[in-house]
Amino acid sequence: MSGVLSAGRIAGLLGLGLSALLPMVLLAIWSVGDRWFYPALWPSRLTAESWRTLLSGEGRLWAAGATSMLLAAGTGAIACIVALPVGRALARLDGWRGHLGAAMTFLPVAAPPVALATGLQFSFLSLGLGGRPIGVLLAHAVPAVAYVSLYFTGVFTGFDTRVEEEARSLGASAGQTFRFITLPLLRRPLAEGFALGFLISWAQMPLTLLIGGGAVRTLPIEVFAFVEAGQDRIAATGALVLLVPALVALAAARLAARGTEVAAL
Amino acid sequence: MALADPARRELKAVRWGLLAAALVASPVVAGVVYSAAAATGLAGFGPHGFSTDRLTRVLGEPAVWESLVWTIRTASLATLLASALAVLVAMTFRRSGRVDKLARTLAVLPLPVPHLVAATTAVLLLAQSGLLSRLGFAAGWLAGPADMPPLVYDRAGLGMVLTLAWKELPFLALVATTLLATRGAALEETARGLGAGPWDTFRLVTWPFLWRGLLPPVVAVLAFAAGSYEAAAMLAPSDPLALPLLTLERYTDPDLARRGDAFVLVLVGLMLTGAAVGLHEWVRYRTTELRG
Repeated sequence: MSGVLSAGRIAGLLGLGLSALLPMVLLAIWSVGDRWFYPALWPSRLTAESWRTLLSGEGRLWAAGATSMLLAAGTGAIACIVALPVGRALARLDGWRGHLGAAMTFLPVAAPPVALATGLQFSFLSLGLGGRPIGVLLAHAVPAVAYVSLYFTGVFTGFDTRVEEEARSLGASAGQTFRFITLPLLRRPLAEGFALGFLISWAQMPLTLLIGGGAVRTLPIEVFAFVEAGQDRIAATGALVLLVPALVALAAARLAARGTEVAAL
Repeated sequence: MALADPARRELKAVRWGLLAAALVASPVVAGVVYSAAAATGLAGFGPHGFSTDRLTRVLGEPAVWESLVWTIRTASLATLLASALAVLVAMTFRRSGRVDKLARTLAVLPLPVPHLVAATTAVLLLAQSGLLSRLGFAAGWLAGPADMPPLVYDRAGLGMVLTLAWKELPFLALVATTLLATRGAALEETARGLGAGPWDTFRLVTWPFLWRGLLPPVVAVLAFAAGSYEAAAMLAPSDPLALPLLTLERYTDPDLARRGDAFVLVLVGLMLTGAAVGLHEWVRYRTTELRG
């Protein structure tokens, strides 16, 4: 291992470390910093007030976190239920048809959320879904279903259907084959699909803003409001809470990858 | 019968597959149809009746074009920066040692960080009274917040470019390292075996291979960056307004007649998305189906 630590590599490593960890460290300090005026490099006082309020279950962050959690879990579940058959159907397309299918599925993922929300708002309002959590849930499901469908397309492209055919030929019904053969095989992809759908809803803001009309207060909406109001400490606390599921999912994915040998990292 | 059966199954698979894709795409299609109707006076706010007046008026506004150019320019700069850094990271830390693995992990770590969190951190760090400015003051380079070059709400969109690039880097770095680790290594070995030097190997084998593999994710990331609302709302200037902000501003205009303008902008946004998605899939088609 000659030249493992040349100057360029050390600089690169430091830069990457700084870029990955500095934001979290800064947010952590900001979340406890009190009376931190320019040009002080360190807050004049530390306080856990925003964390205490959060953990006591009072305040806007807690309520928003609970709303976000429910919406994200619901979105993850809907995304998996819809995307499983969709991804399976898409994986059976080949050649240019496969690419056409993938392009169509990619549309809701790539569409600017503001454009998507503005285009959808009228139909949501006329269906009585505007300003209600159920409407926001369905709106979040639009990009989430597309994302998870693309993910399941990849999963089913490498899926061997012969084991299902075997079960059918041994007399299992379609329901039994799904329940006892397909579902156990898909346990991990389903968990990852759920996590993907969860995270898409968890981080979503423009769809919540437009479809929820300000009445559905999720965590990103509150964090944004606190930043706008200059309430840095509460904003940083909320931003750190927003990071938690994302980091848990990343850690879980890495642990799972370590179990198999295809860990790309 | 025996011959017709696989053909029928194939046809059924195609039908179901395309139907499934249409189902997933239907909300976007509905959005396009409604926006087209609202932009031409067939639906939405105000008096009805088909007319292209709104389309020509909004598309003739200099502010709209400035917004479009600013949005595409900012997203492109961020994507260019992130792509260059991703290639650099992948090339520098491609070995299997512990340092390389650590570097690759650190590069991918911010992948699931929400845009809003990235933008919040950027405000706290880059604003004129932010941490960077305080460090400049402590070092004696700046006399006060006003001395700090504006990186937030600035016309050049520097803070926005940096934030978007930071947000894009993990994904592009992940793709680049995976590309190099899988097919790249074998191709390079072949080139070296045939007598190519390190520079020729990079120029003639590694770079073309990386660039072709990175192009689809780069197009995707460009589309995400251009459509991102959170970063624009927290970091972008009020003149010119980024396209997502301009769309929202028109949509919530107190003057109901102007609200319909938003649908023209929605159409522009969704059409650009359609073009990006088409390009993305076409590049993938060219590189996967027509290889060799």
